Amino acid sequence: MKYLTQLIELTKLTLLSSRQGVVFVVMIQVVLTVGLVLGYGYLIPDISQTAALYVTTGAATNAIVTTSLVMLPQMLAEAKHQGRMDFMLTLPISREVYLLSQVVSTIILAAPGTILAVAFGAWHYDISLDISPWVPVVVVLGIASLAGVGVTVVMLSNHFQVTNAITQLVIFYVVFFAPILLPKEQLPELLQAVSTVMPPTYAADAMRASLTDLPGTELYRDLAILTGFAGASLALSAASIRRRG
Amino acid sequence: MPTLEVRALNKRYRNGTLANDNLSLTLEAGEVYGLLGPNGAGKTTLVRQVLGLLRPTSGCIEVNGHDVVADPGYARRSISFLPQAQFTMDSLHLDEFILGIARLRGLDRAAAARRTENLLERLELAEFRQTQMMAASGGIRRMAGFAAAIVGDCRLLVLDEPTNDVDPRRRQLLWDMIDELGRDGATVLLVTHNLAEAERVIDRFAIIDQGRILREGSPAALRSVVTDRLRLELTTTAPVDPHPVLEAEGGDVYLFDEDDLAAVSEWLALLRGDGSLVDFRIGPPTLDDIYAAVATGRGRTLEPVA
Repeated sequence: MKYLTQLIELTKLTLLSSRQGVVFVVMIQVVLTVGLVLGYGYLIPDISQTAALYVTTGAATNAIVTTSLVMLPQMLAEAKHQGRMDFMLTLPISREVYLLSQVVSTIILAAPGTILAVAFGAWHYDISLDISPWVPVVVVLGIASLAGVGVTVVMLSNHFQVTNAITQLVIFYVVFFAPILLPKEQLPELLQAVSTVMPPTYAADAMRASLTDLPGTELYRDLAILTGFAGASLALSAASIRRRG
Repeated sequence: MPTLEVRALNKRYRNGTLANDNLSLTLEAGEVYGLLGPNGAGKTTLVRQVLGLLRPTSGCIEVNGHDVVADPGYARRSISFLPQAQFTMDSLHLDEFILGIARLRGLDRAAAARRTENLLERLELAEFRQTQMMAASGGIRRMAGFAAAIVGDCRLLVLDEPTNDVDPRRRQLLWDMIDELGRDGATVLLVTHNLAEAERVIDRFAIIDQGRILREGSPAALRSVVTDRLRLELTTTAPVDPHPVLEAEGGDVYLFDEDDLAAVSEWLALLRGDGSLVDFRIGPPTLDDIYAAVATGRGRTLEPVA
């Protein structure tokens, strides 16, 4: 109960403190994900139903990846840079709950863009979705499995701009060289091998499995693997934020 | 048992900088303890270690007899902190900020609301309650930070430059509150450069430089360290070349040895004779002078505490 109260209060503080920018952040997320859905459509003129499903669900996964590897680290880096993080970490609260509150806040901020990306993709490409009740679990596990990387980058980097540069680089490689927007088989063998140990692969698979009836997806296997990654990621985050220099 | 005890603390950063060098200090319950020193003296490093944000290279830090190096969670539960950094919580209103921190410090909803209202009134912040933190002036944000630091029931406060950017009227309120906290039994570790104002609330203070405590004691005791020195404040019609025995302290303030009083008096008489002297005042050095002597490396009467 104590931790739940802390989580609620911290999330409330975070969201209230960013209320002026919320509309802007949501708009950026929406424009980004819708742009991705549209842009890939232009790249593939006669897009098949399967490719359209990949693009639509990939855009949703991309929103998850962006949340974990860009929004969350940048939010934390700003807090660290301004001294706000130091202040929060001296309060009688759990450091892990502080981190979780930042994750929850970014999920809330990213949710509209993610939902809209899927809805827009389905409408634009005239595809039918088969939405599973597991979708929220996929979103949470997807973000949790990647958050550790973002948090560790923030805690280890000494400068706000270093964090920004690293997150931009990581997101670029994840979007283009991981099987998020395209089938794994289309990647070179090396990248296929690398992708088997990368959480975005399973987040994308799980997203496809929970939103479509595409053959070859295994939701429960993906959820199990994502749970493992999420556990490791949260442990990494906890170790990073407990680090005392 | 002391409220805060630091023993033989050493902190060497990975780049080799020794920020704290065998530093020891003790704060008793209800004591307001000032920590003074030039930029880079090691004050912030000490504070960050006390708060559990930084691990010492060696040494011991105890809060109420509890080892907070081994258990930094105890420091978080026992210490309230006002950081030096002028951070902002963006669009958060001032009252939301204080209320939120009160809740995080464990107060129930009703107690948090009561305490927030009380502090807004006492610190004359009520008219700013709905002001977004990013829109508030630096001084108002600082006062809100101070309110957030004392909104809980912590008996050990670490206040890093609490009066920075604060207007004179609110500075007075702030010093009154710190004084009151000390009299109510709270222990305060106060990092400040505002010696003239802090003097009235400080029970003891330490001058720290290069990670070491150069001198520690009550303001009166520290003044006695430079009893062989005098302070001259001078007002002249035009700039004059100071007498060779005078050491400039900034502006028209000088320090000199008591033994040179006769020579300085003669020089002042000459200035009066040629009409360039408007006014002068000779007296004991202030705490600012003692601090300035250390900060500028001219603290020749100050040797590190053994």
